[in-house]
Amino acid sequence: MSGSPLLSTPRGPAAGTAVLEVKHPHHSYDGKREALRGVSFTIRRGEVFGLLGKNGAGKSTLIKVMTTLLRPTQGSLRVLGMDPARDGQRIRQRIGVVQQGESFDFTSVQGNLDIYGILWGIPGEERARRRDALIQRFGLEDLRKRRSFDLSGGQKRRVQVAREFMHDMDILFLDEPTVGLDVIMRRSLLDSIRSEVAQGLTVVFTTHNLEEADYLCDRIAVIDDGRILVLDTLENLKRLYGGKRTIELTLGEGDAPGYFRALQERLAPTDVLTVKDRSGILLTQEPKQALSALVELGQTRAIQFEWLNIRKNTLEDVFLNSVEPGGENHADP
Amino acid sequence: MPIPNLLRLIYRNTRVNTDPGSLVILLGLPALYLVFFGFGFQSLAGAAGGGKGYLAYLTPGIMAFQAVMAGTVGGSMLWADRRYGMLAQLLVGPFTRLQYLLGIMFTSVLFGLGGAAVMLALASLLVGTGTVTALGVGVMLGTITLGSIFFGSLMLLVSALVKSNNAYNSIQILVIFVVNFASTVFYPLSSGLPLAIKVLFDLNPLTYVADAVRGAYFSQLTPTEGWQLLVLAVETVVVLYLAIRAYMRSDVSME
Repeated sequence: MSGSPLLSTPRGPAAGTAVLEVKHPHHSYDGKREALRGVSFTIRRGEVFGLLGKNGAGKSTLIKVMTTLLRPTQGSLRVLGMDPARDGQRIRQRIGVVQQGESFDFTSVQGNLDIYGILWGIPGEERARRRDALIQRFGLEDLRKRRSFDLSGGQKRRVQVAREFMHDMDILFLDEPTVGLDVIMRRSLLDSIRSEVAQGLTVVFTTHNLEEADYLCDRIAVIDDGRILVLDTLENLKRLYGGKRTIELTLGEGDAPGYFRALQERLAPTDVLTVKDRSGILLTQEPKQALSALVELGQTRAIQFEWLNIRKNTLEDVFLNSVEPGGENHADP
Repeated sequence: MPIPNLLRLIYRNTRVNTDPGSLVILLGLPALYLVFFGFGFQSLAGAAGGGKGYLAYLTPGIMAFQAVMAGTVGGSMLWADRRYGMLAQLLVGPFTRLQYLLGIMFTSVLFGLGGAAVMLALASLLVGTGTVTALGVGVMLGTITLGSIFFGSLMLLVSALVKSNNAYNSIQILVIFVVNFASTVFYPLSSGLPLAIKVLFDLNPLTYVADAVRGAYFSQLTPTEGWQLLVLAVETVVVLYLAIRAYMRSDVSME
């Protein structure tokens, strides 16, 4: 799927310019519970910014606020230097959005791309050129005459992502774009996005897939309950957590709550223990000491271990450690 | 020269809603009414249609009925776009909410006028061509436009308020059925009607559309049709206002 860039160049402001400034926006759907509670960050041109979080964490709400679909009840934003409350239409002319849910017209794959090009005012010859290039790039040749609603989930997703490249843009918002894609298509899509980023496209990307975030993103924000828990470059996050080890343990018979309370008291201040029922995940810089404390406590309290495992930290640990209660929160807005 | 946003939306709405399946409903159903009811009741209602037979009487009624069909197209467009994510997709594109709404309204009018023209052409094959004055043509165009906006607004109101697919479809079928048969599309308002049904006929905007188109078709326009059109215009403004209010407040998607 990857190859020559799909979008026209040059575009947008100079490299390094802030294209998205988010300052404490809040949003509530029902006036009671806030889905977004004042996240703040700045994204610069050519950056790939990842939003990670559990279902219902507020990622999609944040995307909707940034793309002018929702108006924040408090706080402010500037998108491409413009205020969404005043310049919504001008902003939308310069962004692309792949929503989390499906969106199609009742027509063929080719028809969907064509109509989208017309909606964006792409002239005839250019429209046909882009349509054919996208159909080829996204492996849709055999499907071009098929009705969109007859496609599988992954095929629909390909059409939806391909369609967004029918028009030029400065910022591309991708809300879980790879859901339903097979491994090859997923990697091809990520490579395709990378080649556009090299041309100056800015990408805001939400995903549950941490490998994707690792592969694509320059910076990552972990969001939960409408707030940012962790925000840093991928390198910093790995440096911060990469020196540590993760010890996973599951206890057998015995007083598990008492064991974990006692263990917590024995651990170093920098160690982080997350407990759920009879299982615990321990992040530590001193795995040998932590392990000897853990075993010694088990012997004195007559606790048996059903499972014990030591491994290196991954981005998944950063994520889990951030969103689980008792996790280590490192916010750097 | 760049094509204005509104025209692009109208093009998209027209293209998406003119697939063979949609056309069968939009044109096939009224055409079947015209042919089967027209010929079926011809012998029973020989005096109707200014002596030209029931088929001639029915023709302007079916032309008026196209306003209802156009309205259902408008409502279904909003419903489908909310249900299948295109409304949210268009609204994160270069369009405003108002442009989207106007796009639906203009498309409905286009469908109403286009459908009426097809029915007129079909009728001319079946009963021959008549002479319609320039005033008559103007009244037909204006009335069907107004009717399409009225029924388009009514169905937009429904699609903005209703959240279930089954409820939307049921209401749409009910509206088509009641509005169609409690009007002068198929039969004149006779003095023998029970009072309740007569009131229903009088309240039904399709009666005004059918009477005005019929008056224009037979070149027999009277001040009554003028008053009816005035009432229709007022009703259209009220329903359009309610539809815009409900639409502006509605969620852009069904998520």
